[in-house]
Amino acid sequence: MFHPRLVLTALSASFLLAAAGLGATSSVASAQDVIRFGAPLPITGPLAPEAVKQQQGYDLWAEQANKAGGINVGGKKYKVEIVYSDYQSNTPRSVQTTEQMITQDKVNFMFGPFGSGAAKAASTIAEKYKVPMLAATASSSQVYDQNYKYLFGTFTPNDTLTTPLTKLVKAKATDVKKVAILARNDLFPLAIAQEMEKSAKENGLEVVYFEKYAINTLDHSATLSQIKSLAPQWVFITGYTNDLLLIRKQMVDQQMKAGVVTMIAGPAYQEFIDSAGATAENISSASWWHPAEKYDGKDIFGSTANFVKLFKDKYKLEPDYAHASAAVCGALFQMAIEKAGSLDRDKVRDELAKMDVVTFWGPVKFGANGQINSLEPPVFQIQAGKPVVLFPDAIKQGDFKLGVN
Amino acid sequence: MLAIQVLINALVLGCLYACIAIGFSLVWGVLNVINLIHGSFIVLGAYLAWGAYNALGLSPWYSLLIAAPSFFVFGYLLQRLLLNRVITAPVLVTLTLTFGLDLILNNAMIYYFKADYRKLILNPPTGSVSIFDVVVPVDRLIATASALALTFLLYLLLRRSKVGRAIVAVRLDRDAAVLMGVNVKSIYAVAFGLGAALAGCAGVLMALIFPISPLTSSAYLGKAFVVCVLGGLGSVSGALAGGLLLALVEGVGSVYLGPAHAVTLSFVLLIIFLVVRPQGLLGRKGFE
Repeated sequence: MFHPRLVLTALSASFLLAAAGLGATSSVASAQDVIRFGAPLPITGPLAPEAVKQQQGYDLWAEQANKAGGINVGGKKYKVEIVYSDYQSNTPRSVQTTEQMITQDKVNFMFGPFGSGAAKAASTIAEKYKVPMLAATASSSQVYDQNYKYLFGTFTPNDTLTTPLTKLVKAKATDVKKVAILARNDLFPLAIAQEMEKSAKENGLEVVYFEKYAINTLDHSATLSQIKSLAPQWVFITGYTNDLLLIRKQMVDQQMKAGVVTMIAGPAYQEFIDSAGATAENISSASWWHPAEKYDGKDIFGSTANFVKLFKDKYKLEPDYAHASAAVCGALFQMAIEKAGSLDRDKVRDELAKMDVVTFWGPVKFGANGQINSLEPPVFQIQAGKPVVLFPDAIKQGDFKLGVN
Repeated sequence: MLAIQVLINALVLGCLYACIAIGFSLVWGVLNVINLIHGSFIVLGAYLAWGAYNALGLSPWYSLLIAAPSFFVFGYLLQRLLLNRVITAPVLVTLTLTFGLDLILNNAMIYYFKADYRKLILNPPTGSVSIFDVVVPVDRLIATASALALTFLLYLLLRRSKVGRAIVAVRLDRDAAVLMGVNVKSIYAVAFGLGAALAGCAGVLMALIFPISPLTSSAYLGKAFVVCVLGGLGSVSGALAGGLLLALVEGVGSVYLGPAHAVTLSFVLLIIFLVVRPQGLLGRKGFE
């Protein structure tokens, strides 16, 4: 006879074994004159594709910094070394990993783990040990409302994505009256959906549907049939690449049409466009950065165009905001360390806090809570298989097109 | 109209769930092995369809013909060379072994295919048919029909063929089957091979519908598990009944309680079944 309880015991035992085996994979170099940066990432598990992006960004920065001789600390050059560790897409483990990096791997500075949830959890450790932490992919204001001194982040709050989007739709698609919002029940996708609801109501749109779907949902047909029956002119869906590909396919299956379909965060990624094919046409989205931007930065990468070129040369693919944010975090650390002229964590932290500089990522200035408040995130739309920037006007590449079939 | 649409959606989805679960149910029912590698087999089948279509221009219907024999051989060898060595050990040992094999296969797929999500896009797309505003996607219809055909083939095989009768005999009473001259080791391997072949074919069909990534294997495995508990182990019709029940509960739940609660509802149902009717809707001791 088979007992479900035994299966559970066996499963948890095997997971523990696997966890022990995969745990500490970070390399420890003994060379001197090296600055060590800790980067906890979800290298395995459901968030693995995101870890690859961040790792590529950090690696590109480290390569460029080392190619230039290293980071200049009071006239002496230090090489950059990034210590990676896998927290297996498991938030509690990201906290352990962060502590291990600070206490055992003796890193000088920390990068945050992926996303708002894990960054918030791990920032507690950085704060405890007074180690400056730069979070590349944390946008939710709940991460920064702890008012930590050592945490900084390069994503603006979520409403900076939804507000320009709503204004644009309101201006260009005057027949949009009803909005349906479907959100993945996860920290960032849900937070951005809630901002969307707020922004829609403020702009006089009627929110006819607002629901969450569970992580790992395999089928959305019932939900989409229901949304279709409400006939919204604007369908706003949040989730990650997998969810959005699945939902988009099922929207086509259900012959669901709308004037405006917005998806966050998939369309900013090339793999979404490749996998969705023709069905990606006219999907609108917003993100924190776009390769079409034209900033002339003071950081190691210089202009946005130069960053895009270096990235394409190294990885043979177009960078998206996740790649760029990771790279700019490295570049910001470099500038703060060089300005401080010291590896003293408090001095570097103070330089980050008073930073006011233009980079390839855009103007960088952190608010009192540590979150960047100087960026103007672009709104874009997939047109003929390419993302086309619609806003801000300074980098606009095309006009908003209505109708998603 | 919404109610009819939701029912039709559930009917189609239920058959897909049955297709995901049938191989898992066979292996569990006959070998008493909880085959944790099942989800990864499905994903591997999906990659086969994706690769054959994109690299060779081979339609997924032909991929089914490649998937069935190659997965059968793969599964047969796996059982013969590895699983048969521990088949008489307590269920925990085989469970741990398949868990380990799943880790290896899944990570190998992440290594070779990357964790990125891919999609098999048929050109031209199959589209949807609509009758009185009720819409049914054609690819799902075809996958449903193929799933039903596969299920029926398995039913025939178990009912009519000598090997099938031997599989049922081993399931009913291993010792008696040995006394009747059945080569149990070989029958185990055939059953596991059949389970793998069904998983591979399910993967080919799922490639038309779901995004493909090694990371989706746990979602397939989870559904197979729930379908088996609901429908009952050891019968072909059980997998169908379980799949339909699960899809119906999820569909109706997501309309009336919201999609976030649909999953909760299906697991509440799972717990109720485990307590009240552990043999499932149509479970019985022997495989049909």
